Amino acid sequence: MIAVLGLLVGVLLGLFFHPDVPIGLEPYLPIAVVAALDAVCGGLRAYLDGIFDDKVFVVSFLSNVVIAAGIVYVGDRLGVGGQLSTGVIVVLGIRIFSNVAAIRRHLLRA
Amino acid sequence: MSLDEAGTRAPTDPALERARIPLLELIQRQSLDEDYADAARRRAEAPAALSAPSAGSGRPPSRRIGPVALALVVFGGLLSVAFVQTRDNADVDSASRSSLIRQVEARRDRLERQQNRLARLRTRVDELTTQVAELTDADQAAALRALRIGSAAGTLAVVGEGVRVLITEPDSADDVSKVHDEDLALLVNGLFEAGAEAITVNGQRLTAVTAIRTSGTAIEVNGVGIGPPYTVLAIGDTGVLGARLFETKSGLDFAATADYYGFDYTLENVDRLVLPAAPPRVTNLRSARINSFGPGNGKEDDEG
Repeated sequence: MIAVLGLLVGVLLGLFFHPDVPIGLEPYLPIAVVAALDAVCGGLRAYLDGIFDDKVFVVSFLSNVVIAAGIVYVGDRLGVGGQLSTGVIVVLGIRIFSNVAAIRRHLLRA
Repeated sequence: MSLDEAGTRAPTDPALERARIPLLELIQRQSLDEDYADAARRRAEAPAALSAPSAGSGRPPSRRIGPVALALVVFGGLLSVAFVQTRDNADVDSASRSSLIRQVEARRDRLERQQNRLARLRTRVDELTTQVAELTDADQAAALRALRIGSAAGTLAVVGEGVRVLITEPDSADDVSKVHDEDLALLVNGLFEAGAEAITVNGQRLTAVTAIRTSGTAIEVNGVGIGPPYTVLAIGDTGVLGARLFETKSGLDFAATADYYGFDYTLENVDRLVLPAAPPRVTNLRSARINSFGPGNGKEDDEG
């Protein structure tokens, strides 16, 4: 599928160009990845459920990344960065698990 | 509206739901963005005619691949960058950690070496302190010895109790009956034999190289001419000096000579005599040098 191809292209581009992440953003990169992963899983589940919408997907992707990184950033400023980061990762993790479970159900049934 | 796992719809009040259901379960239930369901519902409710202007948002769900692919490319890039970042950081972390460990070990070694050096230096300081103490003692002992030697040798002024012998020449004395250098020498020798420690003749201190001799008509002591009356001062034990003088042969000879030639002498004890040192031209030795290895030199104990 084009989607998988797009993913592969992205991975290869990332490896090839090896962009240097600015030091200030470096700690938020893992959070952003997890948030993006949550959005992608949600999108995949919606696709399998038959209610996928590209606008919703793009918006949820971007907003997830920005909001998750933003929450952790604010937490760092406030001094509770570690705890907020834990909270965000817990929530995102649960969502990812539950979406993946739904996807599994779809794939096993199909 | 919410969708439970089975896909059926159950109308619930969201606020009530949020209050009743435990947090984790709530998160799980809402794991799929409600937006997807909302968008699907809106599409189903809006008639096909109204959706014409917006591109691709007709009855079938909008599935334009462009933005999706783009988002996935970005996601892939994020993934790989994050992976690479973590790996690089791990390298940096472990490198910096190992370099820190090396630094710590290097500093520890250096500390150990310096402590050893400190211990060695302390020992050396102790040794040197002991040496200084010994040298100071030796120095003081040597200074003391020099004083005593100087006192005895005549190079230092001395003070003490002693006797005064005054010899007067009668006016009628001629070359034979006047006081000669040998007479003074007899007296001086007698006094030394009797235990005198320092003697002056008319203010001239007697040393080991002092000569009492006649030069022309006058008597010379230390190269200085002296004349009558002759005052001989001798420092010694007043209790015995005078008595012993006339027990010695020289003393008796002197007494006999004085008696024979008729010059008078008086001997009296004095509580405090101050005798000057001999002049430097006498005490500076020209031929004799110090023999460090000669007998009698380098002895630690004093004869004082």
